[in-house]
Amino acid sequence: MKARLKFDKQRTAEPIISTVVLKTKALINILKAEVDESAGEVLIEVPDDKAESTIAAFKQEGVAVQVGGFIEISRQRCIDCGHCITLCPVQAISAEEDLTVKIDQDRCINCGACVDCCPTRAISMLQ
Amino acid sequence: MKTQRTIEEINEKIRRGEATVVTAEEMTEIVKSRGVEVAARDVDVVTTGTFGAMCSSGVFLNFGHSDPPIKIENLTLNGVEAYHGNAAVDAYLGATKMHPEKKFEYGGGHVIEDLVSGKEVELIATAYGTDCYPRRSVNTTITLDDLNQAILCNPRNAYQRYHAATNGRDELIYTYMGKLLPQYGNATYSGAGELNPLTNDPDYETIGVGTRIFLGGGIGYVTGSGTQHDPGAGFGTLMVQGDLKKMSPRFLRGGSFTNYGTTLYVGIGIPIPILNEGLARKTGISDSEIKTSLLDYGVPRRNRPILKDTDYAELKSGKITLKDRTIPVAALSSLKLAREVASTLKRWIEEKRFLLTQPQERLPSTGSLKPMKISRETLFAQNIMLPAVTCRAEEDIDTVAKRIVEKNVNHVVVVTSTGTLCGIVTSFDITRAVALKETKLANVMTHQVVTSSPDEPVESCARKMKKHDISALPVIDAEKNILGIVTSERISTLFGEYR
Repeated sequence: MKARLKFDKQRTAEPIISTVVLKTKALINILKAEVDESAGEVLIEVPDDKAESTIAAFKQEGVAVQVGGFIEISRQRCIDCGHCITLCPVQAISAEEDLTVKIDQDRCINCGACVDCCPTRAISMLQ
Repeated sequence: MKTQRTIEEINEKIRRGEATVVTAEEMTEIVKSRGVEVAARDVDVVTTGTFGAMCSSGVFLNFGHSDPPIKIENLTLNGVEAYHGNAAVDAYLGATKMHPEKKFEYGGGHVIEDLVSGKEVELIATAYGTDCYPRRSVNTTITLDDLNQAILCNPRNAYQRYHAATNGRDELIYTYMGKLLPQYGNATYSGAGELNPLTNDPDYETIGVGTRIFLGGGIGYVTGSGTQHDPGAGFGTLMVQGDLKKMSPRFLRGGSFTNYGTTLYVGIGIPIPILNEGLARKTGISDSEIKTSLLDYGVPRRNRPILKDTDYAELKSGKITLKDRTIPVAALSSLKLAREVASTLKRWIEEKRFLLTQPQERLPSTGSLKPMKISRETLFAQNIMLPAVTCRAEEDIDTVAKRIVEKNVNHVVVVTSTGTLCGIVTSFDITRAVALKETKLANVMTHQVVTSSPDEPVESCARKMKKHDISALPVIDAEKNILGIVTSERISTLFGEYR
């Protein structure tokens, strides 16, 4: 399972992830991390069997947790050209039998490589 | 007996509801399974379709007269400048003209999509005022219904086929062929292959001046061969026009290519009457028979190197092999919407809403494309590069510092024992080394060097330096041998002298 953690300003200096790892013994994999003075955002991968306890532990630490649904393709704007498929580093985007482009939210690592390649600006990253 | 029929006979069958209409993809199957003879006998019309970014698209608009009237001099629609060199209240809005504050995101193509969607569009016009047209400015909102005419008029659409693109540079590039990853990381192509209109009539026997077509969800006409029509190379194009008021936003979409520009996606479908077995055979063409080339768009020249020959079957498979690698490839056009265009046109004909036309004139089937005549010499890296001052990674900082002073340069290229590139060191790096009391050159030099090839245009060198915020590019050959160095000082001297 992948989850996005949002830390507020006061908490970015604290070792929250380590605390949660020690507590849950979940082998958390950090896929992406952006931290500055105003806030921190970290994308993590957690083994499915530890998902529930890990989310609960982060929430207990006061961290906002978002699970899945990071990238959205507007069906109204998408023309199913497939350009984004070639840019996805983790093969999360594919075309169905009838050529409809779809995204696998579980595979997506929220990197955003597909966003600026879309010629009809159909892809957006949820903030 | 060999099949022969006329367009009038086909139209008669359409009117009676007896015409057999198939899409070009279906025709390929029919010819394959039942043969050309049977296909020619059984099929009356083959419908084609394509849906792609067609930059040479735009719309002629007539706004009607205000009171007091105005002879418009400058005009914007939703902030996008429209060309106004026509009569008082006529204008042409081109798909690639960008909004100055929303570059690459919103442009003429998007305004056309907004108009055809029925949205309100802000019109701001200014004028110098004349005795007969005294008004100096207009600021209003219009919709498509408010206009007298809105005529989609595209000087170059529906390429017969197109190259595929990839990128051999060490950096990501944004092109009109999309976002191309470094070192052949992905590839793109355009066109619908066996569904493409001109591909199914490669000798322009039935598509000509006056041919009625599906255009943007409405009816349009071929008005002639398009600009850059290149029949000799198999790259024919069409000029088309049609009434925007009857079109649909499903088949006309504004497009955005990051760091390149805006465009308009256009859906075009053309019916091919099967007049004889020759046309049955030609419309039976399959993707594997439609050849094209994979080009290196990393080389910013008119003639880009051909990396390999390919065909639309390989391109549509989603994977393309390049030497020992397999790279992902996708279209920038939409095959799904091209299919929808061809099947919609098929339905129109079956429902007797669309009759075929006899072309009034054939399109040129010979001739080729000329390059632009350049009256002033173009400069390339090899014309302006200076001899590179070099050093070895093992040399100590003091020696290199002395060399920088002695040769009066800011950049020293670090080479291997065989003279190939392995890094670069600047006078700033040396200053930093002194400040930090660092003695090893390897610890202060840059290992990942941005380079230039000798035939790279000077403009492209300047773009690279600006993009990477650097001031020199070692010029190397394919084996990484140092040929020279292009510096920003050299470029500014050169352009300073020009003025």
